[in-house]
Amino acid sequence: MDNRLYFVLGDMFSIIVIGGFIGLLSVAIVGTDWNMWVAMILMMIVGMALAFPAAFLFGYWFGAMEIMVPAMQAGMWSGMVVGMWHPMSALSLSQGAMLGAVVGLIVLNIIWALNVALRGTRHFAGGAL
Amino acid sequence: MTDLATQDKWDKLAANFDVMAGNGAEKRWLPKKRELFSHMRGKVLFLALGTGLDIVAFPPGQDITAIDISPKMVEQAAVRVAAYDGTIDARVMDVHELDFPDGHFDQVFTSCTFCSVPDPVAGLRSLQRVLKPGGELYMFEHTGSRVFPFNLMMKLMSQLTERVGPSMSRQTVANVHEAGYELLEVENLFLDVVKIIKARVPAHH
Repeated sequence: MDNRLYFVLGDMFSIIVIGGFIGLLSVAIVGTDWNMWVAMILMMIVGMALAFPAAFLFGYWFGAMEIMVPAMQAGMWSGMVVGMWHPMSALSLSQGAMLGAVVGLIVLNIIWALNVALRGTRHFAGGAL
Repeated sequence: MTDLATQDKWDKLAANFDVMAGNGAEKRWLPKKRELFSHMRGKVLFLALGTGLDIVAFPPGQDITAIDISPKMVEQAAVRVAAYDGTIDARVMDVHELDFPDGHFDQVFTSCTFCSVPDPVAGLRSLQRVLKPGGELYMFEHTGSRVFPFNLMMKLMSQLTERVGPSMSRQTVANVHEAGYELLEVENLFLDVVKIIKARVPAHH
């Protein structure tokens, strides 16, 4: 992760808003009488698709791939979790938004942990891949 | 012959490119770009110039040839080119058909370029031709990921983004190797997606 406060807060803010929005939307779209697996798969696709344009908005201030990749994952997972949860125990719109935002933050933290593992320099001896 | 479809695509984006690109990515990576471009020495080729957003990260006093396939982008870059504390010779040129003699440059720098070059291996080979034997290639690029689920997601994204702009799933490190360069260093900056690649033309080339 980027350790400059502007980008840490920017990443968190973007993902909370996107995750929250997808969570809210999931409650609005999915009916409580839906099959939870159908709801999960549908909202996974919708969440990922809608997170993509939303990432452009936040990317203006905070970055490109660094916002887009977590945003699409957050959208996907928020949609899946809230979409599946709502048919099991009816959520209010605010509960959906809250749950979506929390899922988004968890996803962001996993991506930050992965980033720590993946970033760094690899040297190549003799040009071999 | 210049790839007119690609030229047209970037010409259409030129007027609003700065707004579309925003300043988030530029601000985030400015320190790393400054560090990368601080290696500029001798005769330098830079691509793709775009609207000149990277010029602010160039070290002063260099003599740089900068190319872009889009005349509209080069037009947009004019103010930044003029403001640079050194010399930038900005030209409209397709990387697949470089109008420079063999072994003309000491170094080539790219910045978010090979996500958009239609045939990346051919483009890299073309750059190799104009580099001197032992010449250096420095790249700041976003690439596809090798890590699930990012790889799958970025391939899906590319289906859309390639229609209007760059690909999100290029395997640029493998392309550099395939084009015949000696890889020196790959630095992952964000996941295995945003990275700096350093390579050189074999000395016997």
